[in-house]
Amino acid sequence: MATPIKSIDQLYVIARGPFKIYYEGYAVAVTALNRVGPFDILPGHADFFSILSPCEVFIEARDEPVSFVISNGIATVRDDVVMLFVNM
Amino acid sequence: MRRASLIEKDSQEITTVQDLTGVFESLASIQVAKVKNKATLSQEFFQLLWQRYSSIRIDPRTRITNRSGLAGDKDKITRVFVLISGEAGLSGDIDQRLIEIMQKDYDRATTDIIVLGTHGANQLKERGIPFIRFFQVPESDRYIDVTPVIEAVLPYDKIVVYYEEYVSLGVQVIKSIDLISSIQNMSQDANVDIITDTNTIFEPSLDDIADQMEITMMTLALSQAILESSLAQAASRFNAMAVAKKRAILLLGGFFLEFHRSKRSESDRRLREVMISLKKKRRSGGNR
Repeated sequence: MATPIKSIDQLYVIARGPFKIYYEGYAVAVTALNRVGPFDILPGHADFFSILSPCEVFIEARDEPVSFVISNGIATVRDDVVMLFVNM
Repeated sequence: MRRASLIEKDSQEITTVQDLTGVFESLASIQVAKVKNKATLSQEFFQLLWQRYSSIRIDPRTRITNRSGLAGDKDKITRVFVLISGEAGLSGDIDQRLIEIMQKDYDRATTDIIVLGTHGANQLKERGIPFIRFFQVPESDRYIDVTPVIEAVLPYDKIVVYYEEYVSLGVQVIKSIDLISSIQNMSQDANVDIITDTNTIFEPSLDDIADQMEITMMTLALSQAILESSLAQAASRFNAMAVAKKRAILLLGGFFLEFHRSKRSESDRRLREVMISLKKKRRSGGNR
C-alpha cells in the first residue's frame, strides 16, 4: 500500500472493512457518530481514536461525496490521516 | 460380452457424472479465485489495524491472554483446539488428515475441542473423539461472522487452531497456529510512533479502544484461518473433481470400444444365425 502524500488542506482517508474498501483517497471532511454524538473530522484535527456507533459515515471527497452505513467501527486520526475500520 | 444396450446405458450415466464433475470443478475454481481475493483484502485490513494498535503501547500477548483470568487454575481445562473442517464432503481426504494431525497433540484430560464444519464433526464422532462445541463453517462468500466462536474460545488461555492451508491448486497442507502468537506474527511491525493519552484524544477510553481492537484482531486471525481453510477445501474439491472427471473420460473411452465390439459381435451373431437358417433351408429344399 502506497504511503499517502500529505496535503495541508486535505485529509487522507482510508475506510475499510475486512473484505471491502469503502474509500481511499483525499477528502476535506469526514462525518460519523460515536457515543458522545455526531462529529466532524477536518484537516488539522487533533490526534484521535474513537469507537464508532452504528451510523451513516459521510466522506466529503473532492470529486464526489461518499457515504456508507456501518454497524460498528473504530476511527483513528493521526497527522491528517484518517483510518476508519468498519463493519468488523 | 455385455449387450450393447446395457453398455450404452452405462455410458450415458458416466457422461452425466463427467458433466457434473466438470461443473463442480469449475465451481471450485471460481471459489478459489474469490476466496484468494478476500484473503488478500483481509490481510491488508489487519496490517492497518495492527499499525494503529501497536502504536498505542499495549502488549497484545499480555492483554489477550489475561482476559480469561484462568491462568493458574489447575482444575480447569485451559487449552482448546479449534478444528476448521469442511461443511460438506467431495473434498478428498483433507479433513481426515486434519484430524490425524490434531490427534498427535491431543490429550483428552487437558484439552477441549471446538469443531467448525459438519464433515469434521462427523469424522470426530466416528473416531470417538469428544468435542464440546460445534459450529457450522461461516459463509465465506459474504461476511464471516466468527463472533460465536470467539466467545467460545475467550475463556481459554491457549487457543490452537487447526486448519487446512492453501499452498497451490495442487498442494494443501494441514497447519496449526496459536491464535495469540499468530496475531503478532501476522503483523509486520513497522516503525510506529507511540501514542499516549497525553497527545491523543480517546473516546470513550484507551482501554475500551484497545479491547475493541484486540477482539477485532482475534476475529480477523480466525477469519484468516477460515478463509485459508475454505481455499484449501475448494482446491482439494477441484483436485478430487479433476481426478473424477479424468476417470470418467477414461471409462467412457473404454465403454465406447466395448460398445462397438458388442455391436459388431451382435451383428456377427445375427449374420451367423441367418447363414445357418439359409443353410438349413437349402438342405431341406434339396431333400425334397
